[in-house]
Amino acid sequence: MIEAKNINFYYDEFQALKNISMKMEPNSVTAFIGPSGCGKSTFLRLFNRMNDLIDNTRMEGECIVDNQNIYDKKMNVDTLRKQVGMVFQKPNPFPKTIFENVAYGLRVNDLGNKQFIQERVEESLISAALWDEVKDKLNKSAFELSGGQQQRLCIARALAVSPSVILMDEPASALDPISTLKIEELIHDLKKDYTIVIVTHNMQQAARVSDKTGFFMLGELVEYSDTKKMFLNPEKEETQNYITGRFG
Amino acid sequence: MNRKISQQIAFTLFRIFGLLVVVILFSILGFIVVNGIQVINWEFLTTAPKDGMTTGGIFPAIVGTFYLIVGSLLIAFPLGVMSAVYTNEYAGRGWIVKIIRMMTNNLAGIPSIVFGLFGMALFVNKLGFGDSILAGSLTLSVLVLPLIIRTTEEALKAVPDSFRTGSLALGATKLQTIRKVVLPTALPNIITGLILSVGRISGETAPILFTVAAYFLPHLPTSLYDQVMALPYHLYALATSGTDIEASRPMAYGTALVLIGIVLIMNLIASFIRRRLERKWKRN
Repeated sequence: MIEAKNINFYYDEFQALKNISMKMEPNSVTAFIGPSGCGKSTFLRLFNRMNDLIDNTRMEGECIVDNQNIYDKKMNVDTLRKQVGMVFQKPNPFPKTIFENVAYGLRVNDLGNKQFIQERVEESLISAALWDEVKDKLNKSAFELSGGQQQRLCIARALAVSPSVILMDEPASALDPISTLKIEELIHDLKKDYTIVIVTHNMQQAARVSDKTGFFMLGELVEYSDTKKMFLNPEKEETQNYITGRFG
Repeated sequence: MNRKISQQIAFTLFRIFGLLVVVILFSILGFIVVNGIQVINWEFLTTAPKDGMTTGGIFPAIVGTFYLIVGSLLIAFPLGVMSAVYTNEYAGRGWIVKIIRMMTNNLAGIPSIVFGLFGMALFVNKLGFGDSILAGSLTLSVLVLPLIIRTTEEALKAVPDSFRTGSLALGATKLQTIRKVVLPTALPNIITGLILSVGRISGETAPILFTVAAYFLPHLPTSLYDQVMALPYHLYALATSGTDIEASRPMAYGTALVLIGIVLIMNLIASFIRRRLERKWKRN
Protein backbone atom coordinates (compact mmCIF):
# COMPACT_ATOMS: atom_id res chain seq x y z
CA MET A 1 0.00 0.00 0.00
CA ILE A 2 1.20 3.46 -0.94
CA GLU A 3 -0.06 6.63 0.54
CA ALA A 4 0.71 10.25 -0.13
CA LYS A 5 -0.39 12.86 2.40
CA ASN A 6 -0.60 16.57 1.61
CA ILE A 7 2.27 16.61 -0.83
CA ASN A 8 3.66 19.91 -2.02
CA PHE A 9 6.64 19.89 -4.32
CA TYR A 10 8.76 22.72 -5.65
CA TYR A 11 11.36 23.13 -8.38
CA ASP A 12 13.09 26.27 -7.11
CA GLU A 13 10.17 28.69 -6.76
CA PHE A 14 7.86 26.79 -9.07
CA GLN A 15 5.28 24.68 -7.29
CA ALA A 16 4.88 21.49 -9.29
CA LEU A 17 2.54 19.63 -6.93
CA LYS A 18 -0.18 21.21 -4.86
CA ASN A 19 -1.45 19.54 -1.72
CA ILE A 20 -1.91 16.07 -3.15
CA SER A 21 -3.21 13.18 -1.07
CA MET A 22 -4.02 9.76 -2.44
CA LYS A 23 -3.84 6.05 -1.63
CA MET A 24 -2.84 3.28 -3.99
CA GLU A 25 -4.04 -0.23 -3.29
CA PRO A 26 -1.69 -3.23 -3.31
CA ASN A 27 -1.98 -5.66 -6.22
CA SER A 28 -3.62 -3.12 -8.41
CA VAL A 29 -2.64 -0.84 -11.25
CA THR A 30 -3.02 2.87 -10.71
CA ALA A 31 -2.64 5.15 -13.70
CA PHE A 32 -1.78 8.86 -13.69
CA ILE A 33 -2.98 10.86 -16.67
CA GLY A 34 -2.88 14.53 -17.49
CA PRO A 35 -1.40 17.05 -19.90
CA SER A 36 2.40 17.51 -20.15
CA GLY A 37 3.84 19.39 -17.23
CA CYS A 38 0.93 18.58 -14.94
CA GLY A 39 3.19 17.01 -12.33
CA LYS A 40 2.27 13.35 -12.78
CA SER A 41 5.86 12.19 -13.42
CA THR A 42 7.15 14.34 -10.57
CA PHE A 43 4.58 12.74 -8.31
CA LEU A 44 5.57 9.24 -9.48
CA ARG A 45 9.25 9.88 -8.81
CA LEU A 46 8.50 10.79 -5.21
CA PHE A 47 7.92 7.16 -4.34
CA ASN A 48 11.45 5.99 -5.04
CA ARG A 49 12.92 9.38 -4.24
CA MET A 50 14.31 9.89 -7.73
CA ASN A 51 13.50 13.57 -7.31
CA ASP A 52 16.35 13.67 -4.82
CA LEU A 53 18.69 13.62 -7.81
CA ILE A 54 17.40 16.95 -9.09
CA ASP A 55 19.01 20.06 -7.62
CA ASN A 56 17.01 22.78 -5.90
CA THR A 57 13.87 20.81 -5.24
CA ARG A 58 11.82 20.81 -2.06
CA MET A 59 9.11 18.51 -0.81
CA GLU A 60 6.51 18.86 1.92
CA GLY A 61 4.17 16.18 3.16
CA GLU A 62 4.44 12.47 3.77
CA CYS A 63 4.95 9.50 1.48
CA ILE A 64 4.24 6.14 2.99
CA VAL A 65 5.28 2.90 1.31
CA ASP A 66 4.70 -0.40 3.11
CA ASN A 67 4.04 1.42 6.39
CA GLN A 68 7.26 3.41 6.26
CA ASN A 69 7.53 7.12 5.83
CA ILE A 70 10.09 7.07 3.03
CA TYR A 71 11.17 10.66 3.59
CA ASP A 72 12.09 9.90 7.18
CA LYS A 73 15.70 10.78 8.00
CA LYS A 74 16.39 7.17 8.98
CA MET A 75 15.20 5.84 5.62
CA ASN A 76 17.94 4.27 3.54
CA VAL A 77 17.34 5.46 -0.01
CA ASP A 78 19.20 2.54 -1.62
CA THR A 79 17.03 0.06 0.28
CA LEU A 80 13.92 1.99 -0.71
CA ARG A 81 14.83 1.82 -4.40
CA LYS A 82 15.26 -1.92 -4.14
CA GLN A 83 11.79 -2.10 -2.68
CA VAL A 84 10.27 0.32 -5.22
CA GLY A 85 11.41 -0.53 -8.72
CA MET A 86 11.18 1.81 -11.68
CA VAL A 87 10.81 1.49 -15.43
CA PHE A 88 11.63 4.55 -17.50
CA GLN A 89 10.17 6.18 -20.56
CA LYS A 90 12.97 5.14 -22.86
CA PRO A 91 14.36 1.63 -22.47
CA ASN A 92 17.70 2.10 -20.70
CA PRO A 93 19.50 -1.24 -20.53
CA PHE A 94 23.13 -1.03 -19.43
CA PRO A 95 25.88 -1.69 -21.98
CA LYS A 96 26.24 -5.18 -20.59
CA THR A 97 25.00 -8.62 -21.55
CA ILE A 98 21.33 -9.54 -21.21
CA PHE A 99 22.19 -11.73 -18.24
CA GLU A 100 24.28 -9.07 -16.51
CA ASN A 101 21.54 -6.49 -16.96
CA VAL A 102 19.11 -8.58 -14.96
CA ALA A 103 21.76 -9.70 -12.47
CA TYR A 104 22.92 -6.13 -11.87
CA GLY A 105 20.46 -5.26 -9.11
CA LEU A 106 21.23 -8.52 -7.33
CA ARG A 107 24.96 -7.96 -7.53
CA VAL A 108 24.97 -4.38 -6.31
CA ASN A 109 22.67 -5.30 -3.44
CA ASP A 110 24.75 -8.36 -2.58
CA LEU A 111 21.79 -10.68 -2.94
CA GLY A 112 22.56 -14.34 -3.13
CA ASN A 113 25.28 -16.57 -4.50
CA LYS A 114 26.00 -17.51 -8.07
CA GLN A 115 23.33 -20.15 -8.28
CA PHE A 116 20.67 -17.95 -6.74
CA ILE A 117 21.48 -15.20 -9.21
CA GLN A 118 21.25 -17.65 -12.07
CA GLU A 119 17.80 -18.79 -10.94
CA ARG A 120 16.57 -15.33 -10.16
CA VAL A 121 17.62 -14.01 -13.58
CA GLU A 122 15.69 -16.78 -15.26
CA GLU A 123 12.60 -16.23 -13.08
CA SER A 124 12.66 -12.53 -13.73
CA LEU A 125 12.98 -12.97 -17.48
CA ILE A 126 10.10 -15.43 -17.41
CA SER A 127 7.98 -12.99 -15.40
CA ALA A 128 8.79 -10.25 -17.87
CA ALA A 129 7.68 -12.51 -20.75
CA LEU A 130 11.09 -12.29 -22.35
CA TRP A 131 12.71 -15.62 -21.47
CA ASP A 132 11.74 -17.53 -24.62
CA GLU A 133 13.13 -14.79 -26.82
CA VAL A 134 16.49 -14.46 -25.08
CA LYS A 135 17.27 -17.78 -23.40
CA ASP A 136 19.75 -18.73 -26.13
CA LYS A 137 21.59 -15.42 -26.12
CA LEU A 138 21.92 -14.41 -22.50
CA ASN A 139 25.55 -13.50 -23.08
CA LYS A 140 24.82 -11.19 -25.99
CA SER A 141 24.74 -7.43 -25.57
CA ALA A 142 21.40 -6.05 -24.43
CA PHE A 143 21.63 -3.57 -27.28
CA GLU A 144 21.00 -6.35 -29.76
CA LEU A 145 17.39 -6.55 -28.59
CA SER A 146 14.56 -4.55 -30.16
CA GLY A 147 13.15 -1.54 -28.31
CA GLY A 148 10.20 -3.52 -26.95
CA GLN A 149 12.45 -6.36 -25.83
CA GLN A 150 14.79 -3.86 -24.20
CA GLN A 151 11.88 -2.40 -22.26
CA ARG A 152 10.83 -5.86 -21.06
CA LEU A 153 14.46 -6.47 -20.11
CA CYS A 154 14.32 -3.33 -18.00
CA ILE A 155 11.15 -4.65 -16.38
CA ALA A 156 12.89 -7.98 -15.71
CA ARG A 157 15.82 -6.05 -14.26
CA ALA A 158 13.45 -4.25 -11.89
CA LEU A 159 11.69 -7.49 -10.91
CA ALA A 160 14.94 -9.29 -10.11
CA VAL A 161 15.49 -7.49 -6.81
CA SER A 162 11.99 -8.47 -5.61
CA PRO A 163 10.36 -5.08 -5.21
CA SER A 164 6.85 -4.70 -3.86
CA VAL A 165 6.04 -1.66 -5.98
CA ILE A 166 6.85 -0.94 -9.61
CA LEU A 167 6.70 2.59 -10.92
CA MET A 168 6.40 3.00 -14.68
CA ASP A 169 6.99 6.35 -16.31
CA GLU A 170 5.33 6.18 -19.73
CA PRO A 171 6.88 2.76 -20.30
CA ALA A 172 5.46 2.28 -23.79
CA SER A 173 5.67 5.77 -25.22
CA ALA A 174 8.83 4.99 -27.21
CA LEU A 175 7.53 1.66 -28.52
CA ASP A 176 5.57 0.47 -31.53
CA PRO A 177 1.94 -0.70 -31.10
CA ILE A 178 2.73 -4.42 -30.90
CA SER A 179 5.46 -3.95 -28.31
CA THR A 180 3.09 -1.64 -26.45
CA LEU A 181 0.46 -4.35 -26.38
CA LYS A 182 2.98 -6.82 -24.97
CA ILE A 183 3.94 -4.40 -22.21
CA GLU A 184 0.29 -3.85 -21.37
CA GLU A 185 -0.36 -7.58 -21.15
CA LEU A 186 2.68 -7.86 -18.96
CA ILE A 187 1.42 -5.13 -16.63
CA HIS A 188 -1.81 -7.04 -16.34
CA ASP A 189 0.05 -10.24 -15.37
CA LEU A 190 2.34 -8.51 -12.91
CA LYS A 191 -0.54 -6.99 -11.00
CA LYS A 192 -1.13 -10.14 -8.97
CA ASP A 193 2.31 -9.88 -7.36
CA TYR A 194 3.09 -6.18 -7.37
CA THR A 195 1.60 -2.79 -6.79
CA ILE A 196 1.94 -0.94 -10.06
CA VAL A 197 1.78 2.78 -10.66
CA ILE A 198 1.96 3.93 -14.24
CA VAL A 199 2.19 7.37 -15.81
CA THR A 200 0.84 7.53 -19.32
CA HIS A 201 0.02 10.04 -22.00
CA ASN A 202 -2.20 7.55 -23.70
CA MET A 203 -5.71 7.55 -22.28
CA GLN A 204 -6.72 4.35 -24.00
CA GLN A 205 -3.77 2.75 -22.31
CA ALA A 206 -4.86 4.00 -18.92
CA ALA A 207 -8.35 2.67 -19.62
CA ARG A 208 -6.98 -0.72 -20.69
CA VAL A 209 -4.45 -1.43 -17.95
CA SER A 210 -5.49 0.34 -14.79
CA ASP A 211 -7.93 -0.25 -11.95
CA LYS A 212 -7.84 3.29 -10.72
CA THR A 213 -6.93 6.49 -12.48
CA GLY A 214 -5.79 9.85 -11.21
CA PHE A 215 -6.17 12.91 -13.42
CA PHE A 216 -3.61 15.63 -12.82
CA MET A 217 -3.71 19.18 -14.05
CA LEU A 218 -1.42 22.12 -13.20
CA GLY A 219 0.01 20.31 -10.22
CA GLU A 220 -3.32 19.34 -8.74
CA LEU A 221 -5.03 16.01 -8.51
CA VAL A 222 -8.31 16.92 -10.16
CA GLU A 223 -10.02 13.57 -9.91
CA TYR A 224 -9.11 10.13 -8.63
CA SER A 225 -11.49 7.22 -8.96
CA ASP A 226 -12.08 3.80 -10.46
CA THR A 227 -10.89 3.79 -14.04
CA LYS A 228 -14.27 2.66 -15.35
CA LYS A 229 -16.06 5.46 -13.60
CA MET A 230 -13.46 8.00 -14.63
CA PHE A 231 -13.79 7.21 -18.31
CA LEU A 232 -17.55 6.64 -18.43
CA ASN A 233 -18.81 9.15 -15.99
CA PRO A 234 -16.23 11.60 -14.67
CA GLU A 235 -17.24 13.94 -11.91
CA LYS A 236 -15.36 17.03 -12.95
CA GLU A 237 -15.75 18.99 -16.11
CA GLU A 238 -11.96 19.29 -16.63
CA THR A 239 -11.66 15.51 -16.58
CA GLN A 240 -14.49 15.19 -19.08
CA ASN A 241 -12.80 17.74 -21.35
CA TYR A 242 -9.44 16.04 -21.14
CA ILE A 243 -10.54 12.48 -21.74
CA THR A 244 -12.76 13.46 -24.61
CA GLY A 245 -9.77 15.13 -26.20
CA ARG A 246 -10.99 18.70 -25.98
CA PHE A 247 -7.52 19.75 -24.81
CA GLY A 248 -4.20 18.25 -23.75
CA MET B 1 26.52 31.05 -63.40
CA ASN B 2 28.60 33.43 -61.35
CA ARG B 3 27.45 31.76 -58.16
CA LYS B 4 28.37 28.39 -59.51
CA ILE B 5 31.89 29.49 -60.38
CA SER B 6 32.50 31.06 -56.99
CA GLN B 7 31.23 27.85 -55.39
CA GLN B 8 33.71 25.86 -57.38
CA ILE B 9 36.58 28.17 -56.62
CA ALA B 10 35.76 27.98 -52.92
CA PHE B 11 35.58 24.19 -52.91
CA THR B 12 38.81 23.89 -54.83
CA LEU B 13 40.56 26.14 -52.34
CA PHE B 14 39.19 24.18 -49.39
CA ARG B 15 40.25 20.94 -50.97
CA ILE B 16 43.77 22.26 -51.58
CA PHE B 17 44.10 23.39 -47.98
CA GLY B 18 42.72 20.09 -46.79
CA LEU B 19 45.23 18.18 -48.86
CA LEU B 20 48.00 20.53 -47.76
CA VAL B 21 47.77 19.10 -44.25
CA VAL B 22 48.27 15.62 -45.63
CA VAL B 23 51.18 16.81 -47.75
CA ILE B 24 52.87 18.47 -44.78
CA LEU B 25 52.43 15.41 -42.58
CA PHE B 26 53.74 13.05 -45.21
CA SER B 27 56.71 15.22 -46.10
CA ILE B 28 57.78 15.29 -42.46
CA LEU B 29 57.26 11.55 -42.10
CA GLY B 30 58.92 10.86 -45.43
CA PHE B 31 61.88 13.06 -44.59
CA ILE B 32 62.41 11.27 -41.27
CA VAL B 33 61.92 7.82 -42.75
CA VAL B 34 64.21 8.36 -45.72
CA ASN B 35 66.98 9.81 -43.57
CA GLY B 36 66.49 7.58 -40.58
CA ILE B 37 65.88 4.18 -42.08
CA GLN B 38 69.50 3.66 -43.16
CA VAL B 39 70.82 3.58 -39.59
CA ILE B 40 68.04 1.42 -38.20
CA ASN B 41 69.23 -2.07 -37.58
CA TRP B 42 69.34 -4.51 -34.70
CA GLU B 43 72.50 -2.99 -33.26
CA PHE B 44 70.99 0.49 -33.35
CA LEU B 45 67.99 -0.65 -31.34
CA THR B 46 69.83 -2.79 -28.81
CA THR B 47 73.14 -1.21 -27.95
CA ALA B 48 74.38 1.98 -26.32
CA PRO B 49 75.93 4.88 -28.25
CA LYS B 50 79.65 4.58 -29.02
CA ASP B 51 82.50 6.76 -30.27
CA GLY B 52 81.14 10.07 -29.05
CA MET B 53 77.63 9.05 -30.12
CA THR B 54 78.58 8.81 -33.79
CA THR B 55 78.02 5.03 -33.95
CA GLY B 56 76.40 2.37 -31.84
CA GLY B 57 72.74 2.55 -30.87
CA ILE B 58 70.15 4.25 -28.75
CA PHE B 59 68.99 1.40 -26.54
CA PRO B 60 69.35 3.30 -23.22
CA ALA B 61 67.28 6.16 -24.60
CA ILE B 62 64.51 3.79 -25.74
CA VAL B 63 64.43 2.16 -22.33
CA GLY B 64 64.52 5.55 -20.61
CA THR B 65 61.61 6.91 -22.60
CA PHE B 66 59.68 3.73 -21.94
CA TYR B 67 60.24 4.06 -18.18
CA LEU B 68 59.15 7.69 -18.29
CA ILE B 69 55.95 6.83 -20.16
CA VAL B 70 55.06 4.07 -17.71
CA GLY B 71 56.11 6.07 -14.67
CA SER B 72 54.17 9.21 -15.50
CA LEU B 73 51.07 7.31 -16.59
CA LEU B 74 51.09 5.34 -13.33
CA ILE B 75 50.92 8.65 -11.50
CA ALA B 76 48.80 10.80 -13.81
CA PHE B 77 46.23 8.28 -14.99
CA PRO B 78 44.63 7.38 -11.63
CA LEU B 79 44.89 10.98 -10.43
CA GLY B 80 43.38 12.37 -13.62
CA VAL B 81 40.56 9.86 -13.81
CA MET B 82 39.66 10.31 -10.14
CA SER B 83 39.65 14.06 -10.40
CA ALA B 84 37.48 13.92 -13.53
CA VAL B 85 35.09 11.56 -11.75
CA TYR B 86 34.91 14.04 -8.90
CA THR B 87 34.17 17.08 -11.04
CA ASN B 88 31.78 15.30 -13.35
CA GLU B 89 29.94 12.93 -11.05
CA TYR B 90 30.11 14.31 -7.55
CA ALA B 91 30.79 18.01 -7.44
CA GLY B 92 27.60 19.24 -9.08
CA ARG B 93 27.65 22.63 -10.72
CA GLY B 94 28.98 24.91 -8.01
CA TRP B 95 31.81 27.38 -8.01
CA ILE B 96 34.37 24.76 -6.87
CA VAL B 97 33.95 22.87 -10.13
CA LYS B 98 34.17 26.07 -12.12
CA ILE B 99 37.46 26.89 -10.43
CA ILE B 100 38.82 23.37 -10.93
CA ARG B 101 37.88 23.47 -14.63
CA MET B 102 39.42 26.89 -15.09
CA MET B 103 42.64 25.80 -13.39
CA THR B 104 42.77 22.61 -15.45
CA ASN B 105 42.46 24.64 -18.64
CA ASN B 106 45.12 27.07 -17.47
CA LEU B 107 47.42 24.21 -16.54
CA ALA B 108 47.05 22.86 -20.07
CA GLY B 109 48.20 26.17 -21.48
CA ILE B 110 51.45 26.47 -19.53
CA PRO B 111 54.55 26.06 -21.70
CA SER B 112 56.29 22.77 -21.05
CA ILE B 113 59.61 24.39 -20.17
CA VAL B 114 57.87 25.97 -17.18
CA PHE B 115 56.85 22.51 -16.02
CA GLY B 116 60.49 21.54 -16.33
CA LEU B 117 61.53 24.44 -14.16
CA PHE B 118 58.82 23.67 -11.64
CA GLY B 119 59.80 20.00 -11.58
CA MET B 120 63.40 20.90 -10.96
CA ALA B 121 62.52 23.28 -8.14
CA LEU B 122 60.05 20.97 -6.42
CA PHE B 123 60.90 17.35 -7.17
CA VAL B 124 64.62 17.54 -7.87
CA ASN B 125 65.69 20.11 -5.26
CA LYS B 126 63.02 20.66 -2.63
CA LEU B 127 61.95 17.03 -2.28
CA GLY B 128 65.48 15.87 -2.96
CA PHE B 129 64.75 13.25 -5.58
CA GLY B 130 67.67 14.55 -7.64
CA ASP B 131 67.78 14.11 -11.40
CA SER B 132 65.86 10.86 -11.49
CA ILE B 133 63.17 8.79 -13.16
CA LEU B 134 60.97 9.67 -10.20
CA ALA B 135 61.40 13.42 -10.61
CA GLY B 136 61.03 13.19 -14.40
CA SER B 137 57.90 11.04 -14.22
CA LEU B 138 56.32 13.35 -11.66
CA THR B 139 57.05 16.39 -13.82
CA LEU B 140 55.69 14.72 -16.94
CA SER B 141 52.62 13.56 -15.05
CA VAL B 142 51.83 17.12 -14.00
CA LEU B 143 52.16 18.05 -17.65
CA VAL B 144 49.69 15.45 -18.95
CA LEU B 145 47.28 15.66 -16.04
CA PRO B 146 45.07 18.34 -17.67
CA LEU B 147 44.91 16.32 -20.86
CA ILE B 148 43.81 13.18 -19.01
CA ILE B 149 41.30 15.10 -16.89
CA ARG B 150 39.78 16.78 -19.93
CA THR B 151 39.45 13.66 -22.04
CA THR B 152 38.10 11.66 -19.11
CA GLU B 153 35.54 14.37 -18.38
CA GLU B 154 34.42 14.32 -22.00
CA ALA B 155 34.21 10.54 -21.84
CA LEU B 156 32.07 10.67 -18.69
CA LYS B 157 29.82 13.33 -20.19
CA ALA B 158 29.19 11.04 -23.14
CA VAL B 159 27.69 8.39 -20.84
CA PRO B 160 23.89 8.82 -21.04
CA ASP B 161 22.28 9.91 -17.77
CA SER B 162 19.69 7.17 -18.24
CA PHE B 163 22.41 4.64 -17.34
CA ARG B 164 23.02 6.43 -14.07
CA THR B 165 19.36 6.79 -13.12
CA GLY B 166 18.71 3.20 -14.18
CA SER B 167 21.42 1.97 -11.87
CA LEU B 168 20.41 4.17 -8.94
CA ALA B 169 16.78 3.11 -9.37
CA LEU B 170 17.86 -0.49 -8.74
CA GLY B 171 19.27 0.41 -5.35
CA ALA B 172 22.90 0.77 -6.42
CA THR B 173 24.90 3.38 -4.56
CA LYS B 174 26.50 6.22 -6.43
CA LEU B 175 29.93 4.65 -6.11
CA GLN B 176 28.65 1.32 -7.45
CA THR B 177 26.98 3.16 -10.32
CA ILE B 178 30.23 4.86 -11.20
CA ARG B 179 32.36 1.73 -10.87
CA LYS B 180 30.07 -0.74 -12.57
CA VAL B 181 28.23 1.31 -15.17
CA VAL B 182 29.68 4.76 -15.80
CA LEU B 183 33.41 3.98 -15.93
CA PRO B 184 33.13 0.80 -18.02
CA THR B 185 30.93 2.67 -20.51
CA ALA B 186 33.35 5.58 -20.68
CA LEU B 187 36.44 3.37 -20.89
CA PRO B 188 36.97 3.39 -24.68
CA ASN B 189 36.99 7.19 -24.68
CA ILE B 190 39.17 7.35 -21.58
CA ILE B 191 41.68 5.17 -23.41
CA THR B 192 41.73 7.74 -26.20
CA GLY B 193 42.94 10.24 -23.64
CA LEU B 194 45.61 7.78 -22.61
CA ILE B 195 46.79 7.48 -26.21
CA LEU B 196 47.13 11.23 -26.51
CA SER B 197 49.06 11.33 -23.24
CA VAL B 198 51.54 8.71 -24.40
CA GLY B 199 52.30 10.81 -27.45
CA ARG B 200 52.72 13.88 -25.32
CA ILE B 201 54.93 12.23 -22.68
CA SER B 202 57.25 10.49 -25.07
CA GLY B 203 57.81 13.58 -27.18
CA GLU B 204 58.38 16.29 -24.58
CA THR B 205 61.95 17.46 -24.10
CA ALA B 206 61.70 20.54 -21.92
CA PRO B 207 60.16 18.93 -18.82
CA ILE B 208 62.81 16.21 -18.66
CA LEU B 209 65.70 18.51 -19.42
CA PHE B 210 66.33 19.51 -15.79
CA THR B 211 64.66 16.59 -14.06
CA VAL B 212 65.89 13.29 -15.45
CA ALA B 213 67.51 13.32 -18.86
CA ALA B 214 71.15 12.32 -19.10
CA TYR B 215 73.35 13.46 -21.97
CA PHE B 216 75.18 10.20 -22.14
CA LEU B 217 74.63 7.22 -19.90
CA PRO B 218 75.59 3.90 -21.47
CA HIS B 219 74.16 1.68 -18.73
CA LEU B 220 70.54 1.09 -17.86
CA PRO B 221 68.93 2.54 -14.72
CA THR B 222 68.67 0.30 -11.69
CA SER B 223 66.38 2.34 -9.47
CA LEU B 224 63.78 5.11 -9.50
CA TYR B 225 66.49 7.51 -8.38
CA ASP B 226 68.66 6.97 -11.43
CA GLN B 227 68.96 9.29 -14.37
CA VAL B 228 68.10 7.95 -17.80
CA MET B 229 68.65 8.91 -21.38
CA ALA B 230 65.44 9.68 -23.24
CA LEU B 231 64.71 9.79 -26.96
CA PRO B 232 63.65 13.43 -27.40
CA TYR B 233 66.56 14.76 -25.38
CA HIS B 234 68.97 12.37 -27.07
CA LEU B 235 67.77 13.69 -30.41
CA TYR B 236 68.41 17.21 -29.22
CA ALA B 237 71.87 16.29 -27.99
CA LEU B 238 72.77 14.51 -31.24
CA ALA B 239 71.62 17.44 -33.33
CA THR B 240 73.26 20.22 -31.35
CA SER B 241 76.01 19.15 -29.05
CA GLY B 242 77.66 15.91 -30.09
CA THR B 243 81.40 15.62 -30.47
CA ASP B 244 81.00 15.46 -34.23
CA ILE B 245 77.60 16.75 -35.23
CA GLU B 246 77.96 15.90 -38.92
CA ALA B 247 78.86 12.30 -38.13
CA SER B 248 76.05 11.86 -35.65
CA ARG B 249 73.36 13.38 -37.90
CA PRO B 250 72.20 10.00 -39.28
CA MET B 251 71.93 8.81 -35.67
CA ALA B 252 69.67 11.78 -34.99
CA TYR B 253 67.34 10.86 -37.83
CA GLY B 254 67.29 7.27 -36.66
CA THR B 255 66.36 8.43 -33.18
CA ALA B 256 63.54 10.56 -34.57
CA LEU B 257 62.24 7.61 -36.51
CA VAL B 258 62.28 5.37 -33.46
CA LEU B 259 60.49 8.04 -31.43
CA ILE B 260 57.76 8.36 -34.04
CA GLY B 261 57.63 4.58 -34.31
CA ILE B 262 57.11 4.13 -30.56
CA VAL B 263 54.29 6.68 -30.47
CA LEU B 264 52.72 5.07 -33.51
CA ILE B 265 52.89 1.57 -32.03
CA MET B 266 51.46 2.78 -28.73
CA ASN B 267 48.62 4.47 -30.60
CA LEU B 268 47.89 1.36 -32.60
CA ILE B 269 47.79 -0.85 -29.51
CA ALA B 270 45.54 1.56 -27.65
CA SER B 271 43.14 2.08 -30.53
CA PHE B 272 42.99 -1.67 -31.02
CA ILE B 273 41.92 -2.08 -27.39
CA ARG B 274 39.51 0.82 -27.76
CA ARG B 275 37.96 -0.62 -30.89
CA ARG B 276 37.46 -4.00 -29.22
CA LEU B 277 35.80 -2.46 -26.19
CA GLU B 278 33.54 -0.40 -28.40
CA ARG B 279 32.57 -3.25 -30.65
CA LYS B 280 31.50 -5.21 -27.62
CA TRP B 281 28.63 -2.82 -26.86
CA LYS B 282 27.86 -0.34 -29.56
CA ARG B 283 25.65 -2.39 -31.76
CA ASN B 284 22.97 0.18 -32.45
